[in-house]
Amino acid sequence: MQIIKHKTSIDFIGKRRPAMFISSLLNLAIVVGIAAVGFNYGVDFAGGTVVELKFNHPVSPEEVRHRAQSAGLHDVSVQRIGATGDNDYLLRLGGMTQLTGDTAAKAETAIKGLGPVKTFHADLENGIINFRAESKQAPDVVKKAVADTGTGVREVRELGEAQGGSGWDYQVVFSGMADRISAGMAKGLEKPDFIQQRVDYVGPQVGKQLRNKGLMALIYASLAILVYVAFRFDFKFAPGALVAMVHDTIMVAGFYLVAGFFGREFNLTSIAALLTIIGYSVNDTIVIYDRIREEMVRFKGKPLPEIINIAVNDTLSRTILTSGVTALSLVGLLIFGVGEIWDFAMAMLVGIIVGTYSSVYIASPLTIWLDERAAARAKATRPGGSKGAGSNKPQGGGKDKPKPKAAASAS
Amino acid sequence: MDRSWWWRAALILGVTLGSVWYLVPTYYSFFVLPREQRNDLKALAAVLPRWAPSATQRLSLGLDLQGGIHMVMRVDTRTALEKRTERRGVQIASAMKDRKLGEVDVDADPEKLQLTLRPKDPKTLDAIEKDVLDTYRDFTKVNRTGDALVLQLRDNQVDKFKEDSVDQAMLVIRRRIDKFGVGEVDVRKLGTDAIQISLPGRQDPEEAKDLVGRTAQLEFRMVDDQSTFFKDLLAKKPPPSGSDIAITSEEGFQQLKGKDQQELLAYVKGEVPAGKEVLLECKEAPNSAKNTCSSYITYLVEKQVPLTGESLSGADANFSQYGEPEVDVQFDASGARDFGDLTEKNVGKRMAIVLDDNVTSAPRINEKIPGGRARITLGRSFNKTNDEMLKDAQKLALVLKAGALPAPVTTGEVRQVGASLGDELIKKGSLAAVVGLLLVVVFMAVYYKRSGLIADVALILNGLLILAGLTAFGATLTLPGIAGFVLTLGIAVDANVLINERIREELANGKSARAAVDQGYDRAFWTIFDAHVTTLLAAFILFATGTGPVQGFATSLIVGLFASLFTSIVVTRAIVTFFVHGRNAQTVSV
Repeated sequence: MQIIKHKTSIDFIGKRRPAMFISSLLNLAIVVGIAAVGFNYGVDFAGGTVVELKFNHPVSPEEVRHRAQSAGLHDVSVQRIGATGDNDYLLRLGGMTQLTGDTAAKAETAIKGLGPVKTFHADLENGIINFRAESKQAPDVVKKAVADTGTGVREVRELGEAQGGSGWDYQVVFSGMADRISAGMAKGLEKPDFIQQRVDYVGPQVGKQLRNKGLMALIYASLAILVYVAFRFDFKFAPGALVAMVHDTIMVAGFYLVAGFFGREFNLTSIAALLTIIGYSVNDTIVIYDRIREEMVRFKGKPLPEIINIAVNDTLSRTILTSGVTALSLVGLLIFGVGEIWDFAMAMLVGIIVGTYSSVYIASPLTIWLDERAAARAKATRPGGSKGAGSNKPQGGGKDKPKPKAAASAS
Repeated sequence: MDRSWWWRAALILGVTLGSVWYLVPTYYSFFVLPREQRNDLKALAAVLPRWAPSATQRLSLGLDLQGGIHMVMRVDTRTALEKRTERRGVQIASAMKDRKLGEVDVDADPEKLQLTLRPKDPKTLDAIEKDVLDTYRDFTKVNRTGDALVLQLRDNQVDKFKEDSVDQAMLVIRRRIDKFGVGEVDVRKLGTDAIQISLPGRQDPEEAKDLVGRTAQLEFRMVDDQSTFFKDLLAKKPPPSGSDIAITSEEGFQQLKGKDQQELLAYVKGEVPAGKEVLLECKEAPNSAKNTCSSYITYLVEKQVPLTGESLSGADANFSQYGEPEVDVQFDASGARDFGDLTEKNVGKRMAIVLDDNVTSAPRINEKIPGGRARITLGRSFNKTNDEMLKDAQKLALVLKAGALPAPVTTGEVRQVGASLGDELIKKGSLAAVVGLLLVVVFMAVYYKRSGLIADVALILNGLLILAGLTAFGATLTLPGIAGFVLTLGIAVDANVLINERIREELANGKSARAAVDQGYDRAFWTIFDAHVTTLLAAFILFATGTGPVQGFATSLIVGLFASLFTSIVVTRAIVTFFVHGRNAQTVSV
């Protein structure tokens, strides 16, 4: 059986200009979109609390939202996951603990009502209030006073007498947001009609750290792969592979950007998808590069565009099939995956399609462009030297033209 | 069929059988044991056949698949450092007064970790400078301007303190969780200031946060050494068969010793005299990994708690003037009074320093200690170097500080997955993998006929290798891990597509079956190699920077890529060679 016949002769190189134009435009749009709108960051990166509740009877998203609203959870976002019949919902709130600017102010009034307070500091991030009272207080009394304002208190710790006897230090530790969501949703019910399937809290500091780490990982991976390609192939190939890689990564990021409008989140799994695409994109490009290199030896003296066209056509069935089978393996994940895993499989699918396209239309033509530029520069610096634009030298024979590095920096 | 083929065939057979053998415990834990015993290593060991690998060699599920809590706690070392600087300032001021060097105003700048010393009488500054720098070696002189001396906490002290704080927090957390009886917990350091904790099977994130994030409880309690309780108990009730519970003599006191904490506690349970309690001390094996207990020693202590860590204001490890390691303990005003009374009443007895219900140390009270400063001398130990002795002292100081000056531990992230959700995810995940695998297998067989079937054999072996590899590396299988597994199956077939397409091309160019196969493999080799290396690079970086579930994905991907290299290049080639060379076939079915 054969899907793609062996001797195709499609002129890929001839369509490189429109392809490049459309790709550049899309990439630009995505980058602008990310800068302007940004991803719909999940709790991994934005911090906050997510609770997954599975109801034991059919409920609509509106009902869930309404119930949350009437329980005083105004800023909660509700998202259904899985199939309609699963009655599975994600409820997300900012913050990890019940201490907010609002509840802190109430707690302050309550604490000051117990006796004179010298210093008061609310650490919203960690859900802790530190205060110094003039006189010794009973932690239980403090706990009750704060809890009476309607905010969940986990513990009141006595930190001891302050240095120099200027007062007594106390720490109020607030309960988590998950408790508030579950308690709020079960309000007025004899027994909760849901089970708490999953809870994620991420502190804002950790979120920021994870985001930076993810970004660094993407940069390191790109660099490592670039160095490998430059080492295994001619330097001439590295920029093409890099541009294709960046192109594919941006396109997949674009998928997450668009998916964000439909409530899908950008989280740690998304970083995993982007990194895998970085690896896979080059994977695909290499299959073609390998062939270009081979043909360059075989058809010495033929202009590069022609060689590339032959190489791309010869490997077309490989390129499409390899992408095809990898995509095929993802079908199961697309059918049975929910939430992040479905997003991951979808992002991979987008990446595989885009990666195949970019290997053919971006990575290979770019090599020609760089070769042309290099040749043009050689001509300019050495009149009458070169055969002209589009000249081609097999790998290793590039010593008499400008340093490949120069070509790379020109991109 | 040349000799190298036989070698390769033997290698393939060995690897296959080895993988299958290696997966036996995993198979038993999933399909033989009932669901609720899946994590019970003892139950698993009981059902495993004798020839199987040990029960610990099994693929365990990540928290997202089996349900449980994953948390990252951040140790706020900065706050603790600032407090320590402030505390040192007060100590120095009072020490100068004690040593009759004159009154000194000490200003602390916690931001910079600096202290500014201003003596009332500027002429005494020389003497003070010498004395302070000699005694408080954790500080270094920044400058001296006129009548003021500025000191700063040494950088190496800052680093050491940070490390100590995290170690201390880990020790406290681990001991607490151990006592909780949660099986297979994992506590590890994450970076320089965070601790990652996995609690499989736990369901209440608030409870876990409370357990882990709570301030350490430090208590001073009297040891009852008059009682012959342990000796009598051993005479009256034989320890359970197979246990190693026995009498040991610690500094002349009769106590019990055993390897299993739960067993010891169960043995004494119900026998303890009224008003008393049995607490354990963890004994670390020499040169053991950090914070692991090799045995436990029992103490019979009074239930009553005369003094807690709240009255403590500081603790530091030093060498005494006789070269013995010691810990200098300071109490606040009310603590000093209580401590004085307590020591006066109990001269000659041992006082247990109890952190979270674990005895850390039980020094003997030699005399009444007034004034709120105590010295705990650890005594010289001839099989330990000075460094090791100082380490012991520092550890004790750390425990005391955990009660007095805890580095606040805050919650970085908590992720809880319910057990039912985990089960559902396993079901969906395996279904997804099976569907993906079937689609690929069918496609290959239809598209490449016999070569496709060979690729399918390799693919299934590939799956087996990944599972065995994950088991061997002690990795856990997570949901993203399953996604990684599926993806690598795709990549593995990818390699076979490359080879088969190449063989078709060579055949189309009029080559013989034999030459086409050989060239197909040779030419495709580097392409496959490059493609795998680039994906591996990305996977390694993901592994190094990722945490939790993402790391699970990276692990699957890495193991899968190696397995794929092996199966696509070695395994399929050996099979194809068998058909083409061995049978001397004139055609090849691709």
